[in-house]
Formats: sequence, structure tokens, C-alpha cells
Amino acid sequence: MDDFEAFLNDGGIIEAGDDMPDEYRTAVFTFIEMHANSELMGGLTERDWIPKTPGLRHKMSVVAKTQDEIGHGHLLYMVAADMGVKTRTEMLEDLFAGQSRFHNVFHYQAETWGDQVAIAFLVDAAALASQQAVFKNCSYGPYRRILKRIISEEGFHMRLGEDRMMRIANGSQVQRDLFQGAIDRWFWPALQLFGPDSKPHDKLLRWHIKSERNEVLRDAWVQKFVPLLQSYGFSIPAPDLGFDDATQRWDVGPIDWEPLKATLAQGGPDSARRISEALHNWEQTAWVRDALDAPASPEMAASV
Amino acid sequence: MSTAQLISIDTIRAAVASVDDPEYPGLSIVDLGLVETCDVNERGEVTIELVPTFTGCPALNVIADDVTQAVAAVDGVTSTHVGWLLSPTWTTDRISDIGKAILAERFTVAVQIGPKASTCPRCGGPLTDESMFGPSRCRSVSRCNACVETIEVMRA
Repeated sequence: MDDFEAFLNDGGIIEAGDDMPDEYRTAVFTFIEMHANSELMGGLTERDWIPKTPGLRHKMSVVAKTQDEIGHGHLLYMVAADMGVKTRTEMLEDLFAGQSRFHNVFHYQAETWGDQVAIAFLVDAAALASQQAVFKNCSYGPYRRILKRIISEEGFHMRLGEDRMMRIANGSQVQRDLFQGAIDRWFWPALQLFGPDSKPHDKLLRWHIKSERNEVLRDAWVQKFVPLLQSYGFSIPAPDLGFDDATQRWDVGPIDWEPLKATLAQGGPDSARRISEALHNWEQTAWVRDALDAPASPEMAASV
Repeated sequence: MSTAQLISIDTIRAAVASVDDPEYPGLSIVDLGLVETCDVNERGEVTIELVPTFTGCPALNVIADDVTQAVAAVDGVTSTHVGWLLSPTWTTDRISDIGKAILAERFTVAVQIGPKASTCPRCGGPLTDESMFGPSRCRSVSRCNACVETIEVMRA
């Protein structure tokens, strides 16, 4: 392991077929599996909003995000499966059985269009910042290359999110109230997406999967979004919010991590429904997979 | 007329070429083959006609906004009209060699030209189709068994 860590510290990159310590393989696999699950669960949430989204402009952005997220999930499941720990089918079965993890934010329900705006603006920014920090120094080559493309596309989502936010923030009082309600519901889950403070010897940091500590990324998000939301006249749902004149930094006060812990055990407010909906979707789309896997009929084969 | 400033078409073309595809930062929409015509008249009115990779591409608004912004910043431009054409149809052979190189080297994305099978941008090995559905309409998913890599393929 010492040699392996020295190799990683020298900027060494591990490829799919390379030898690697089992601990590293398991840690990287679990990380990618959670990312893949989160893309799939996020894509399904986005899809739920296609018929409910107001206006063609936003509807197109929701369609685009749905396809992107499902596509990202697909790519990530392939990369994870190549690690030889679980097959894609096993990963999906574990997900639907509530036995593997996905991001906390997909354990809540998006109640209004305002929630969708808050997700696209606040949550997507948090997810993008986390992914950028992984991409920066990621020692596992196949994941790093997929992340490059995912990050480029998530950057596009950020623009769609900013477009949604600008429109609702510059809208009527009813729209602004809708968005304030969404901020109140989503501020803390978005902030908790970064996770609690990294442990002193976090192996994901040591093995160059993550490049930055959770609390550093979380603080950067706070410093950006607290003043930004306030500049548009929205309030932050943090009773102990303070601004330190000496450091010129915002402090959101103590963070209650119980809601995050609940989501990790599939006990979030909307976990059960989300997982059963995902399973239902998987079963309902079996015919598509069967059709794609079926050999071409003789007539079809002759026409190609 | 005497006050009108003549703008060279090359200046307009350069402004359009400065716009990147929103999902491929660093890849110009010119290299992607999206730009069909650029025109500017003596009154400084600019008309740009673009060809979408797919008519339902969700990035069309964003691309048109970016082009409008880039062209409007050119000295002497008085108005900008950006339109999307339904014909000709975009195909992958509209992607320039530079565009293909950027896709391969920076994004590990292969390009399928016509019915010819595409090769792995990493090792040049043959690609095996995995799914015709990728993260967008213009991409499918393949894999390279030689170097064990998941590869997105741009397709028409």
C-alpha cells in the first residue's frame, strides 16, 4: 500500500485493467456507484417535472437535463461495472432494494416549480463544485475522463438554472414567494450535499479521489450563495446567520446533520416513494431493453 | 450612409467563431459545423444562419443568445438576427478536423462519419456499440474493449 500511495502522490493514474489494492478498488467503486445512482435518481426527478414545467423554454431545459442525467448515470454505471465489483444489474437491484446510497437531495420531494428552480440553482451548483473537486486530481483515469464531460454538461445546467432563477426572481410577488418557500426548504439539504467535515485521514483524499475537504467546498458555496440570494432580496433560513467583519465571511451557524444521516439510511422525507418510483420505472421500461437486445428479424437484417 | 461604418465579414466570422458549444467548452460552433452563413450589410445589420445538430436540441436558445451577444459586441453592429435553419441537415462530416481533434483529445469523444465504424479516441481500437442513447440526441454510447473505456460517439 505504501508503494501504491507513493505512486498516487507522484500523480500516478490507475486505469481499469491495472492492478490496484482491494481497498482502493472498493472505495473508488462505491464512490462512482453513488454518483451513478444520484444521476439516475436526479434524472427521474427531473423527468417528473416535464409535464408540469411552465412554458416551452423551461420545458426544453427540463427535457435536456433529464436526458443528460440519465445519460450520465448510464456512463457512470459502465465505468463502475468495469471495476469488477458489481455488474450494472446488481447495482440497480441494490438501489431499488434500498441497499445503496444516492445523494441526500434526492430524498426530498420537489413540491413546486420554485423547488425546481432552487434545485437547478443551489443544488446543481453544490453538485458541480463537488464534481470539479474530484475531477481536479482524480487518480482513477476512466472516472476522471467521464467527469470531464459530465462537468462540461453540468456547467450548461448551471446556465439553465441561472436563467430559471433570474426569471422567477424578477417575476411577480407570487413567483418570488414561491421561490422563497423553495429556498427555505432546499438551502440546508443543498448545503449538506457536501457532507460533514472530512475526517483527518479521509482515504478518499489520501488516494486522490477527492482533492478538497468537504468543509472547504461547503464554505465556498456559502460564501457565494448567501450574499447572492440576499442581493435578490431573498432571506436565508439560518437563524444564526452571521457575518464576520474581520474575516469578511458568512457563517451559517451550527449545522444539524440528523437529516443527512436519515437520508443515508433511506429514511429521508421522500426516500421510500423515490425508490419505489425508480423500481416502477425500471419495470415499466423493460420492454425497451428487451426490444434493443432482441436480434433483428430476418426482414430487418435484410434491409440494413 | 456617410456615417455608416463598414464592418468586414471576417470580423463577424471571428466573433461567431469565439462562441463555444455550451456542452463542449473550448470547441467553437464553427468547428462543430453549426454555422451556415454570416452576412453583414452597410447599415451594420448582421444575419447569422445556424444549423442545429438536432432540431430538438435543448441548447439552441443558449447558442443563439451567445452568438447574438458576441456579434453585438463588434464595433459598428447595429442589429443582429440569428436564425436556425431546417435545411441543410447537420451531419458529422460538418465537424472540422480541429473539431474532431478537440473532441478526441479533450473530451475522449469519437465521431461517427456515415456508416463507417468509429475508432477509440484513446487507443485507436475498434468500438463496440453499447446504446444508441447517450446524454444527448447527438451522441450514442460505445465501449472500447481494447483499453476498457466508455466512449461517447457523436452521430448525425
